[in-house]
Amino acid sequence: MTGIKIDTILLSIFQRAFKSITDEMSISLTKTTRSPILCEAKDFVTGLYDADGNMLEQTENLPILSFSLGPVCKVIIEQYGDRIFPGDVIIHNDVFSMGNQNNDVAIFKPIFVEGKLMGWSAAKGHQADIGGAVQGGYNPNATEVWQEALRIPAVKIYEKGVLRKDVWDLIFANIRLNIVQEDIKAQIGACSLGERRLMNLISKYGIDRFEAHKQELFNRTERMMRAEIASVPNGVYEGSSKVYYDGKHPGSEFEIKSHIIVNDEDIVFDFSQSSPQTNGFVNGTFTSSCSAITLTFLQMVDPNIPHNEGMIKPLTYLVPEGTILNASYPKATTFGNHLCPQIADSIFKALGPAMPERVTAGWNHLLCSLFTGNHPAKGEKYVDICFMGLKGGSGALYGDNGYDHIGMIDASGGLLDQDYEMYEQQTPHRIIRHEFLKDSGGAGTWRGGLGVETIIRLGGENTTMVVFGDGDVEENYGLFGGKGSVLNSIEISYPDGKTYKSLSKDIIEGIPAGTIYRQVAGGGGGYGPPHERDPDAVREDVLNEVVSKEMALREYKVVFSEGSSNPDLEKTAKLRAGKNTVA
Amino acid sequence: MEVSERKYKLGIDVGGTFTDFFLVGNDGSSLVHKTLSTPEDSSVGFIRGIHEIAEKLNLPLSSFIEKIDTIVHGTTVATNAMLTMKGAKTALVTTEGFRDALEMRRGVREERYNNHYRNVKPLVPRYLRLCLNERIDATGQVLSAVDRKELDAIVAKLKSEKVEAVAICLMNSYLNNEHEKQVARYLRDALPGLFICASFEVLPSIRFYERVSTTCINAYIGVVIDRYLESLLDKLKKIHFKGVLMIMQSNGGVVTPEVARKIAAVTVLSGPAAAPIAGSYYARLLGFDHCITMDMGGTSFDTSLVVNAQCITSTEGEIDRRRIALPTLDIITIGAGGGSIGWIDQGGLLKMGPQSAGSLPGPVCYDRGGEKPACTDADLILGYLDPDYFAGGKYKLDKEKAAEVTASRLGEPLGLNAQQAAAGMYRVINMNMAQGVRQVSVERGYDPREFLLICAGGAGAIHAGEICRELEIPMFMVPAVASIFCAAGMLLGDLKHDYVRSYICKYSDIDRKRFLELYREMQEEAENTLSEEGIETSKIEFYPSLDLRYAGQFHEVPLEVSMEEILEFRLDDIREAFHKEHNRKFGYELRTEGTELEVINVRLRAVGITEKPVSLSASDTNKTCSAQQAFKTMRMAYVPEDDEMQELPVYDGDVLGEGVLIKGPAIIEQVNTTLFLGSSYHCETITGGSFIVYNKTLMPEGYKKKSLITENNMK
Repeated sequence: MTGIKIDTILLSIFQRAFKSITDEMSISLTKTTRSPILCEAKDFVTGLYDADGNMLEQTENLPILSFSLGPVCKVIIEQYGDRIFPGDVIIHNDVFSMGNQNNDVAIFKPIFVEGKLMGWSAAKGHQADIGGAVQGGYNPNATEVWQEALRIPAVKIYEKGVLRKDVWDLIFANIRLNIVQEDIKAQIGACSLGERRLMNLISKYGIDRFEAHKQELFNRTERMMRAEIASVPNGVYEGSSKVYYDGKHPGSEFEIKSHIIVNDEDIVFDFSQSSPQTNGFVNGTFTSSCSAITLTFLQMVDPNIPHNEGMIKPLTYLVPEGTILNASYPKATTFGNHLCPQIADSIFKALGPAMPERVTAGWNHLLCSLFTGNHPAKGEKYVDICFMGLKGGSGALYGDNGYDHIGMIDASGGLLDQDYEMYEQQTPHRIIRHEFLKDSGGAGTWRGGLGVETIIRLGGENTTMVVFGDGDVEENYGLFGGKGSVLNSIEISYPDGKTYKSLSKDIIEGIPAGTIYRQVAGGGGGYGPPHERDPDAVREDVLNEVVSKEMALREYKVVFSEGSSNPDLEKTAKLRAGKNTVA
Repeated sequence: MEVSERKYKLGIDVGGTFTDFFLVGNDGSSLVHKTLSTPEDSSVGFIRGIHEIAEKLNLPLSSFIEKIDTIVHGTTVATNAMLTMKGAKTALVTTEGFRDALEMRRGVREERYNNHYRNVKPLVPRYLRLCLNERIDATGQVLSAVDRKELDAIVAKLKSEKVEAVAICLMNSYLNNEHEKQVARYLRDALPGLFICASFEVLPSIRFYERVSTTCINAYIGVVIDRYLESLLDKLKKIHFKGVLMIMQSNGGVVTPEVARKIAAVTVLSGPAAAPIAGSYYARLLGFDHCITMDMGGTSFDTSLVVNAQCITSTEGEIDRRRIALPTLDIITIGAGGGSIGWIDQGGLLKMGPQSAGSLPGPVCYDRGGEKPACTDADLILGYLDPDYFAGGKYKLDKEKAAEVTASRLGEPLGLNAQQAAAGMYRVINMNMAQGVRQVSVERGYDPREFLLICAGGAGAIHAGEICRELEIPMFMVPAVASIFCAAGMLLGDLKHDYVRSYICKYSDIDRKRFLELYREMQEEAENTLSEEGIETSKIEFYPSLDLRYAGQFHEVPLEVSMEEILEFRLDDIREAFHKEHNRKFGYELRTEGTELEVINVRLRAVGITEKPVSLSASDTNKTCSAQQAFKTMRMAYVPEDDEMQELPVYDGDVLGEGVLIKGPAIIEQVNTTLFLGSSYHCETITGGSFIVYNKTLMPEGYKKKSLITENNMK
């Protein structure tokens, strides 16, 4: 590669081109996949990698997939060595060879230029089914991977352009829904698109120029990332968060403990002192936990840093096998992605003192319902993940309120609510309320994002409800004097008047029509002392009925005179001054 | 023709910097005019321009005015009101429990990693979103009725808050609009001065968020459009204009001011909507049914697609992150234009835009205080622009200053000199614009290589060649009216109205009677509106379409069908066409699997055909020169193919005759447009002062009509 002069303009062009190729692959997947979790919730990622498996660029629609393809690509390269040919298509989901979650199935296609392996295009998406004991894969009773899913270590489904039908049939004989085959075909289609585009790009500028500029891009991105790390004071920072209930042992608790070591331009995320792995499905995989670490750190750095190998190079991950964040073979791990909120909490809490202007207060954790049943009017089965109900607020940060109704940090606003009217067509349920919940944003100088109350009248006989998540025990934390927010909860009221408060991992069967479902997704934590919040911001929140006058007085120390919608600034100042002297 | 019989049509496009005028006479004569826009009240620039044209024609205003039979007007009034949040104080009346749909926007945050990224401010603040305890269920049955007492309380609140406009959007009103009708009637009686609109009047189709957002946009800008049109009509009356005024709509049609005042939301993208219309016209002149248009302005780059002479419309539009679900021409806008600023990111990479220097302070070379190098500065440094012949010499450009600032701001950190940095800016912005073209074509399932590119905007033709090379588009056209392209396109607009009804059922369950009834209803509504606008029944054309999908899918596919297929209820033919369209768009179909289809919406577009100008050419009898005669000088300019400055011939494009061949690399200068030919290109002039530019390698036989399209894959 010596002798290639770096053309700074060509660098911009390569970076822009890599990005537009992975974006195009992503659009192709959105439009062609059929399962709602792919085409609506966009739970997939598309990426380009070089011949050594280094990330050139990726488009992760949900941040939890930010680290999910690269490690697998390296496994594949290692496994196949020189037995990789043009026209090969490789499939993979195995969590014990760097997969992140059983349901997340990846497709890889090698890219050859002038007979030489130059890179890979890849797409990974969450499949509607992946075999195992329970449709959809969320099996709270699982203790081993085989009760959760079909394991697919890297295997060729096409070799030199020819479909290996026997292999294909073997895989799909173990998966319940035909839709999965269609979605995998769509992923292969997206990879072919990426392959074609990257081939053209490399041919246009030549292999040597591509190699040299790619390396330079990595270097520059790495420098950007290192500069961000260098701005954090050196030290060892500790944080901790808790996971409640493993789905089997009520009252069980686990700790996620972070030691973050910042040494000039390097940062180490050490989670080795976290709780040991559980005997249920509440376990992370190495890849899912590293994704969670990566996405949390990305929320604290310049959002314009390109997503390539250079971005992750300065980050060291210590997530030892046998801990709750990296279960050993053959433990169950389907819940692993949903440990992301707790990992994020642990990191934000640790780095708070070091980067007070970049961390956020606690985000609302996931608590989610999945309904299955019959639609009596249509005479058909339906499956519905209640996305609209699960989305609470994000934590506030220095200078800004949290984002209202955004949902868990793993998605960071990437999951869309169902449309209400479409929802009432596709399910037998009727929505009674889906609104911001008053006083649900954690109080602070900057308020936590608002949580949401969802009330639905369930229709159809014999509905089954699977619940998974957390956030119903400990409130989201506030930062630097900010307050926490309300808890997550799901409660159903049967037509006969009985009520049932669901556990955070639960299966409830035989729910009759007319049952009322009520879910609260809590808000985000507040940042800074509430009594330092601008009284005008409090006035606006009160006017808009997202903060009550009682809360305004109690937390924000803002006084409204009787019947007025404007704060009494004099009394407010007095009250606040008093508060300060007392404190 | 006697001068006294001469009649004119006038297209007026109000943009951010300039207001463009294109005047066409019924004898084929035409005139291009530009005047500075008056953003505080754009009707001022509008009227001033008419005065200036009368002067140019040496006519007294009164006799010029009486010769104008039609003015078609594209306006950014609604767009600007949206972008600057200067609409009316608006309230929303909605169903209890759904107060926040407007603000939640289905819970999206567009930037995933940026925690400082805020939600957009809702057009109606929460305290003005008022709820009624009424409910219609998912089958259209009333669960609870509208309560008069609640309405009285709402009226009192609207009065005390001094609200100017009210949007009404109730759950499931697409199935049963009785409640919305009751509420609208009640509020209109109680509050006669207010602008009140209900969702069934604006967008009677399924999807609550889409409907509530579109209805609120309509109410929010309704008052603004109403006031603007009133003031404009008043000013036109004062100068004794007796012809017809038409307003350009976002769907590419025109509408009378009376109708626009009711459904103001149809004017949200009034400005750029004429480009694909004009594009379609010019493509057809050359024998092409398909083209891509690009319009490069000061701050933005608009691109759109014409397929089978039809402009593509979509209901998936957004303005400033707010959904507007009315059929809108599918125009991709990206932040790239003459004013786009070059900057260096933290990793040392050169970026262009989306920040723009605008017209004030403008690029550095304008010498009006701009201190950041912009695209126009690069074009100047690279020799494409002549500092003494910008807008025909009207403005002097400061090339030295542009070079100095570009060198210090960008060159130094990149280790490049001014010219190298400018070349980088040129290549990066071309890449950005190519990406916009890719978005509007490839991402819609069309291969740009099979399209003619039509290039508009003063600087567009400097960049079009490189955009085409990036996308392997073999040929582009620069129309004579490139600099006022939209104003020209406006004169071709027909009256267009879109109607929609949701009819959600399995394809095999479609009830013939109900289906035809829905179409009859929409047809009647269309005929009433068009007859109010003075269109005879014989001049009305109908274009029906259906929103269909495979059962179980989430994204429906709009499918255009014929009125015969609808009236004869030819569902098998329509199903067949759906399989094909799905395959074209997404690369596969489920014909053999026997997968059931679902219908979601039935749609009807009604077009009232208007009288068109005889020609859209910028007529000029002086255009007779050969290349040799039009040769002006030699100038150093950047040739991207060779990555170096070369001495190139410069021609005066305003005097070139028809059928002249100019070989690249070269520069063709006109008063309002500059055309740069790289070494990959040749250029021919054609009738009416337009230019055809084709790639020497991709079209070795030279330019021939229709020679690049393989007509497959287009139906």
